[in-house]
Amino acid sequence: MSELTEERFSEKTDAEEAPPAPGERAIAVQPGRFHAAGDISSLEKVFELEDISVSYGDAPAVKDVTLDIYKQEVTALIGPSGCGKSTLIRCLNRMNDLVPTAKVTGRLLYHGEDLYGPKVDPVQVRKLIGMVFQKPNPFPKSIYDNIAFGPRILGMKGDMDEIVEKALRGAALWDEVKDRLDSNAFGLSGGQQQRLCIARCIAVEPDVILMDEPCSALDPISTGKIEDLMMELKREFSIVIVTHNMQQAARVSDRTAFLMVELDSTEQNRWGRIVEYDATEKIFTNPSDPRTEDYVSGKVG
Amino acid sequence: MSERTRVHYQEELEQLEERALGGIDLVVETLGRTLEALEHHDVELAELVIADDDRIDGRYLEVHQSILTLLATQGPVATDLRLIAALLHLIKSVERMGDQCVNIAKLIPLTGHDAPQDERMLADLVTMGRQVKALLGQAKQAFASRDVEVARDLVRGDDVVDNLNRECFRLAIEIGDELERREWGMSMMLVARALERMGDNAVDIGEQAVFVVTGLFEEFEDASKPRAATG
Amino acid sequence: MSDEFNPRTARAEIAIAGARGATAGILSDQPRRDVIRNSVFASLLFLAITIALVGLALLIGDNLIKGWPRLNMDLLTNGTSSLPDNAGLHSAIIGTLWIMAFVILFIIPIGVGTAIFLEEYTSKQSRWARAVEVNIQNLAAVPSIIYGLLGLAFVARGPLSLGFTVITASITLTLLVLPIVILVAREAIRSVPPSIKEGSMALGATRLQTTRKQVLPAAIPGIATGVILAISRAIGETAPLIPLGAATFVTYDPSGPASGFTALPLVIFNWVKQPQAEFQVLAAAGIIVLLAVLIAMNSFAIWLRNRYEQRW
Repeated sequence: MSELTEERFSEKTDAEEAPPAPGERAIAVQPGRFHAAGDISSLEKVFELEDISVSYGDAPAVKDVTLDIYKQEVTALIGPSGCGKSTLIRCLNRMNDLVPTAKVTGRLLYHGEDLYGPKVDPVQVRKLIGMVFQKPNPFPKSIYDNIAFGPRILGMKGDMDEIVEKALRGAALWDEVKDRLDSNAFGLSGGQQQRLCIARCIAVEPDVILMDEPCSALDPISTGKIEDLMMELKREFSIVIVTHNMQQAARVSDRTAFLMVELDSTEQNRWGRIVEYDATEKIFTNPSDPRTEDYVSGKVG
Repeated sequence: MSERTRVHYQEELEQLEERALGGIDLVVETLGRTLEALEHHDVELAELVIADDDRIDGRYLEVHQSILTLLATQGPVATDLRLIAALLHLIKSVERMGDQCVNIAKLIPLTGHDAPQDERMLADLVTMGRQVKALLGQAKQAFASRDVEVARDLVRGDDVVDNLNRECFRLAIEIGDELERREWGMSMMLVARALERMGDNAVDIGEQAVFVVTGLFEEFEDASKPRAATG
Repeated sequence: MSDEFNPRTARAEIAIAGARGATAGILSDQPRRDVIRNSVFASLLFLAITIALVGLALLIGDNLIKGWPRLNMDLLTNGTSSLPDNAGLHSAIIGTLWIMAFVILFIIPIGVGTAIFLEEYTSKQSRWARAVEVNIQNLAAVPSIIYGLLGLAFVARGPLSLGFTVITASITLTLLVLPIVILVAREAIRSVPPSIKEGSMALGATRLQTTRKQVLPAAIPGIATGVILAISRAIGETAPLIPLGAATFVTYDPSGPASGFTALPLVIFNWVKQPQAEFQVLAAAGIIVLLAVLIAMNSFAIWLRNRYEQRW
């Protein structure tokens, strides 16, 4: 009888019947287990990078980057300035080709195909992989012509008015500009211009959208609108974003890659390297690498 | 080579931890007084303990508010974030332990001045209390120095407390047939229970320390399950 | 009660007033040195513009006064004649218009095409590109008579052998003003922000598509300016036309590219050479007509440019 009362008397209830062996822990739980973005074995890969290195002439910019980017996720690239995040993202749509001294080595697969293969036309690549730049760069044309430019050039079939409307709706801009489609694009505010650039990008129905610090020139409210937009866009497109705002990376991305700057012995050259690449939640609650820890806590600049 | 940045923030964080851990010291102090009141049946000291609980509650509110402020203004992540979550748990444990001391103190006047006592039980209770004090000191050290091994070791010390608790229970049953002593016995059982809870709280603090370091929740094996049949 | 003189209040008031005055003084007080410097500088600038405008006004005014007696419709309808009373500018005007028409026809594709090629399709680093760059700037400085001799040797005679015709004059003048067009057009193309080109390329446009549909439309105002400058230069050139057989005594109107020609500057020059005083009057009137034609052409071009600029 005393045993029973003792059991009831004590507060803790163990799940196990037999007492655990001495030194054995009852439970050890990884908090991240309870959230998504953990299991990658079932996800489709959009990009596979293997030992990608980029240099401009003799100066290396990025070295030995190996990571996979998954479909319909937002992948963020973070790191201090000069770590090559922009250089890296511009490899993904071959914009580095426009710089004569740029050299890219390594393997870059896009849906399993080598993006830098001999038969691959960079122009075709850019039709599938679009880009939004740091400073909004609308064309000096009307809002309508800005959006219509891409589809016209690509010879897209369909009613142009419909295409334009769909793109503007997709960028959450339609209601604000539907009455002035013929007015000059420069008449829009900074945040609206950037959304116009996003609309322009999605009008050609790409597969991937690359964003190079899209909000760094915008005020907080426009930034918030664009971050919300990313959550919507993610349903249709895969997004890779470069940002130096860590809180933004934490807010919008599913996976985050952290790059750091390395210097050579003479301290003349500096280039970037991947330090850690993992689910965003892990990076910001329990990063594996102490350098990542220091950077995201803001203890190192 | 890199400069320290966010110095103000780091200082705030350090101060917060200090205040929170200082709460443990307050509990140790209070527990000491409680034990003394118990041992010598000092009703006035018991009243003091009850009144003084405001200090611990005040510390709880202060730390709680600082945590909210830090979360809102500094956006902590990674280890800092885990630390703040752990401190929230920790200060809650501190507040509960303070309340346990009050519970004990409230029981002291009820037993009457000349009530017969069981010397063995009293001795056990005092031993329990001292052991809990030691556990609290160890827990504080484990947290402050982020020592996972010391934290895990707390469970061993808590086993002692739990065993003493069982022993008290047994003794209480023994004197349960004596009309004069059984009321005292039952009150002392409640005291033992309160002390046992405090021991568990100390272990919880150890678990939080491990969480800060590893990011994992470990539930330490405890001795609430009897190892061998009693009776 | 309050009428009583309160020394503390009064003193305080004086102190406050003094402090306010001092602040106002500091804020509005510019050191005398700076004030003088500013005025002198502004005056010098004003003087510069005055000289320019006054010079121009004197030129126009002088000719206007001198040529006034002959500024009438006869001037424009009469053909060439050795008699001052019958002389007019009709043939010359037709000739000038024919020549300028072809010049414009040539300089736009050649000049703009060259500018595009230099800006978009060659690497800035190549030695060849830099050599071309330097040479274009030199060509813009070559005296115009050299172009006349060039035209004589290679266009009127030599390989092209087009004779002393309107087309010869046009080709020669084209060569003369081409460097201006190239330089200005290149500046206009350069000033199109690279972000526009990047944005276009990022959408999947080819270089050609980007150039045709983004760069050129954006550069048109600048290019138009280049063309205007070229017209203004070419219309008044006399020296290169002389070796090209611009007969000063052409009695017929130039009828086409292959016909002989005369031009406004030539006729005016010829009149100036004549000893008779009446021809001087004619010359002055001719200058006014030349200026009028120039202003008309330029105004049209500027109007076109503005209209295009406003469209987007």
